[in-house]
Amino acid sequence: MNRETPCETARILRENNDPALEEHLRSCLSCVINLNAPYYEAPAGLETKIRERLRSETAPLSRWRWIAIAASVLLAASIVGNVSLLITRTDPRQLVADEVLSAHIRSLAGTHLLDVPSSDQHTVKPWFNGKLDFSPPVKFLADFPLLGGRLEYLAGHPVAALVYGRNKHVINLFLWPATMSGPNAAVTRNGYHLQSWSANGMSFWAVSDLDETELRRFAAIYKQT
Amino acid sequence: MPRGRPWAYATMICPALIAVPRRTSLRTMNPARKRAHFEQMVMPHLNAAYNLAHWLTRNSHDADDLVQEAYLKAFRSFETFQGHDSDDGRAWLLAVVRNTCFTWLRRKGEHTAAEFDEQLHSMAQPTPNVEATLLNRAALASLRNCLEALPLEFREAIVLRELEELSYREISGIARVPVGTVMSRLARARKRLQECLAGAMDR
Repeated sequence: MNRETPCETARILRENNDPALEEHLRSCLSCVINLNAPYYEAPAGLETKIRERLRSETAPLSRWRWIAIAASVLLAASIVGNVSLLITRTDPRQLVADEVLSAHIRSLAGTHLLDVPSSDQHTVKPWFNGKLDFSPPVKFLADFPLLGGRLEYLAGHPVAALVYGRNKHVINLFLWPATMSGPNAAVTRNGYHLQSWSANGMSFWAVSDLDETELRRFAAIYKQT
Repeated sequence: MPRGRPWAYATMICPALIAVPRRTSLRTMNPARKRAHFEQMVMPHLNAAYNLAHWLTRNSHDADDLVQEAYLKAFRSFETFQGHDSDDGRAWLLAVVRNTCFTWLRRKGEHTAAEFDEQLHSMAQPTPNVEATLLNRAALASLRNCLEALPLEFREAIVLRELEELSYREISGIARVPVGTVMSRLARARKRLQECLAGAMDR
């Protein structure tokens, strides 16, 4: 913007102090516009407004934004955690495994390991008569001597607990008529191993502090016998 | 061997390291520095930006809003400007202001009649010498009204040429039309303006 010399002709006329300049400035359209049209200058506050908006555009995330982000992350993590917990909790096999393990530990902690202490399967099996509405298959196993049997209450119904030994280890084998047949499962909890399987309409859960291979061998031998 | 200067050893092993730390492109520049750089380049042209916006929208309130919007838009696309450092950024800024205003005006339903007008008269003979008239006080007083009565594209060309004193080439870049179109728009705008001013003198 140079309002002194709007056009080349005007510049020359002015330099020569030519009286024709006055006339030119009123007839040359470029000069007329340049000298007479309003030039709108930015209002006083505009520059500040723009600078502020640019600053907020580049400002790092504010403290509240960070808190909001952290809160959302925590909420998401909590939802994921709760849902996964709910899924594992509601799995009935997991619930049964918990009860089986508790029963096993209870039987070793107190004095009530055996209701019928006997290594003779023909003594143990009839003992359950009248106490259960089913007859548990009590088997003689060469490597795992029978120690006896006991009545136990598990998963909402009375079950048979057969107790076998292996060196100094005790194996509790819980069995009851199957309400559902699931796949075989091997679970390890708190250092105890659990094996479960179904056969002939019965559910079997073996639990012991024996090492896992030994317990699996026990289960295999029991199934084959 | 250079002594006690680990960096010198590093550059001997990997010569590419020499170049890497020196360059700071806008893209990687920290936001505060980028903003400072931007403000330094475009703030001197705030009056030009506002003047153009005011002439295009014909009111100060919208001009104020649109200039702010244009500055933010320009800042977001600041990287693209770095490619051609042909001028001081004024033409680039005015192009952004112009586009912001046109988008807004079009959304508002402003009639942009010049296209039709141009096609109809593209074969028009050279404009007669309309600059002979000596304008009186009344004509000068109605200059603003006559300018505001021009179709948008004509008004744009006149403002950029006569008030911002940009070259035809610069105007063609801002208005995104060939230089020939800029010249014909200017000629036709002058003719209309002359007629409008002459009409004001008769009264």
